Amino acid sequence: MRSVYVTGMGIISALGIGVTENRSALLAMQSGISHSSHLNSLLKDKLPAAEIKEDTATLHNLLRYPGQLFPNRLVSMAALAMEEALGETAYQPGMGKMGFINATSVGGMADVEDHYTELVDPSKSEAAINLLGDTLDCGHCTEELARHFHLARFIGTVSTACSSSANALMYGARLIRNGVLDGAICGGADTLTRFTLNGFNSLKNIDRNPCKPFDANRNGLNLGEGAAYLVLESEEMMYASGRKPLAVFSGFCNYNEAFHPTSPSPEGEGAYRAMKGAIEIAQLKTSDISYINAHGTATINNDIAEAIAMKKLFGENMPAFSSTKCYTGHTLAAAGAIEAIFSVFNIRHNELYPVLNFETPMPEIKLLPLTAVKEHTSIEHVLSNSFGFGGNNASLLFSKYA
Amino acid sequence: MDLAAIMPASYSVNMLSPVYIRSARAICAQDTFGNNDLPGELTEATGNSLHYLHPDYSKYFTIMQLRRMSRVTRTGLVAAIESLADAGIKKPEAIITGTGKGSIYDTEKFIQNILEFHEGTLNPTPFIQSTYNSLNGLIGLQYGASCYNTTYVHRGFSLELALTDAMMLLQEGEIEQALVGCFEEISPEHYIIKQKLGAWKKEPVSCRELIASKTTGSIAGEGTFFFVVQKNKAGALAKLSGLRMLFEPTVAAVLDELTSLLKEHHLRREDIDLVILGYNGDVRHNHYYDAVLAASDTSTCIQCFKPACGEFDTAVGFAVWMAAWAAQRQQVFPSLTIRPAMKGPIKNIIIYNHYQAKDHVLYLLQQTED
Repeated sequence: MRSVYVTGMGIISALGIGVTENRSALLAMQSGISHSSHLNSLLKDKLPAAEIKEDTATLHNLLRYPGQLFPNRLVSMAALAMEEALGETAYQPGMGKMGFINATSVGGMADVEDHYTELVDPSKSEAAINLLGDTLDCGHCTEELARHFHLARFIGTVSTACSSSANALMYGARLIRNGVLDGAICGGADTLTRFTLNGFNSLKNIDRNPCKPFDANRNGLNLGEGAAYLVLESEEMMYASGRKPLAVFSGFCNYNEAFHPTSPSPEGEGAYRAMKGAIEIAQLKTSDISYINAHGTATINNDIAEAIAMKKLFGENMPAFSSTKCYTGHTLAAAGAIEAIFSVFNIRHNELYPVLNFETPMPEIKLLPLTAVKEHTSIEHVLSNSFGFGGNNASLLFSKYA
Repeated sequence: MDLAAIMPASYSVNMLSPVYIRSARAICAQDTFGNNDLPGELTEATGNSLHYLHPDYSKYFTIMQLRRMSRVTRTGLVAAIESLADAGIKKPEAIITGTGKGSIYDTEKFIQNILEFHEGTLNPTPFIQSTYNSLNGLIGLQYGASCYNTTYVHRGFSLELALTDAMMLLQEGEIEQALVGCFEEISPEHYIIKQKLGAWKKEPVSCRELIASKTTGSIAGEGTFFFVVQKNKAGALAKLSGLRMLFEPTVAAVLDELTSLLKEHHLRREDIDLVILGYNGDVRHNHYYDAVLAASDTSTCIQCFKPACGEFDTAVGFAVWMAAWAAQRQQVFPSLTIRPAMKGPIKNIIIYNHYQAKDHVLYLLQQTED
């Protein structure tokens, strides 16, 4: 099987636009979670969220080349992250076959939900509103980006709820390993929507305060929005593109635990098997893992199940772990790719970012997350977890390029 | 830089090994489910829509269970159950689906509930079921199948992304079989949304006259198609030998891809016995199908399928289902024939479909070798 390398990254989140702003905020322990201003929801003053500061028109105007891109929030955010990930490289057919695997959980819902009543009213027909009808699904954003960035050879979209972009990255890596593609741009995007905010609120999963991952008094997640893409290349394609490896995408595993539609099994079976599978594919030992970027949503069920799974897998040799959901909020389908980029930061800069708001250890298990920034520490292999509805568990493993 | 010089020959594109289709089930507007057959007379569309002919769900679920299940959860679970039963499989080793729009009714219901109850206390069920991978999770729960499980949501590529994933899994060698399916539904609200985008015909059209229609738009449809694919040929209906996806190609690019697909499998165009085309009666997009038809050998049987199931993101599932059975039974459904065959056995089948002229797919299915 071929090795897969990360050769580019682009990100936008509530922490800022671009890798530099995101890394600075993490190092400064600055959270992006506050009260949203653009989201059109009656709940926005009650439920904090990690919203990108710019409004949609500003985001669209920040694009170096907006071209014909559909100017909704999802596409504008995603295109900004794509521009950064691709950089100056123009992928030519002679460099090998480049694919594009995107992920989203609610597509263009943010712009659709305010016009839905009009969209389904047969007596109303305004051209600009009618066009929004095409943006409701998950494929629209991917096709906009594929057309704009000339990535039409192999495109696709994944939606497995909160593990969507982890699965998109995994699919891209496997397409390269199996020789179907030579490179793939993979990641995901989700905006804050009334739909998802009310959805998670109806499940009583949202904290009214900034979330507290792995704390005894955690009380749910905060939603966030963002987009992140990683450029994956085979060694052969790297020679052709001239791009440098930022990290090795060394392992991954998708494992559905078939336990419950929305809750993890109490013993964290899915999380355990996903992490174990990723380490095995990379032919590493658990003792090789330097750090885990946990799923760590700060819901009551997730964090204890994930902690039990980590304890079961690592025993007394527990590596440092934390969750970055307390910075970016839970960005749903974008989370896997955002945290994959943070994992590459860990490896590139030999630094770790702690959880925020941590006060009291969970009484059920002796496991403490990282609570202070750690710098100048050698980081070789980082696991990144993304777990979702439907029992979907995904774990990705990134390694230092030797 | 000359890539051929640095790249090992084995890394040529499209190098996935063929897989075998062990079972195939279809639920759509026609009576296809019970006998894996298509009745001679097609059920007519009403209001330019072809709606599900629902199986008898009481054979599978209690009334209490049914009350909690959305439409596509019912069609999806039943199609999955029977596909696995046909294949004699107790537990799938991977569950992979594709859907363009997921559970439209649940998405609509949750949007309406948010408006109606002013973001107050809401029932989470429609939100959970609107999640595109909820059917996947439920199939996993039904079988206690803790395994690889994912969902592709890319319009006219959804099923192909799922099948490509299954082909990779089988090639990677971890598993022997996988459950792959696609599902779609149409609701009155979604019909209106797409009507405003010009997707449907303005005048009422009979299914039988759909292909010959000279106007824009098509008729709406819905369908659920499930397959068990496996690594070995034992008991298989057909072999899935090749799969290609092209985004917004020119007609010439489609023909080039078809040529390369045939060449890769050492086939000449006269070796193709059956070509299944996604004609949907929309005059704006017929020229793609016309070009593939024109490039086919005059002795090749040409069939269509959208008069039976209507147009939707994953309608191509119907074509895969009918191709698998054509290879197995060595006969075609006469009601879908555009041009009859002039020769014998059905060994090599090409499917060509596009969704709104954007997502183009080519399949090569072959009769299972003895």
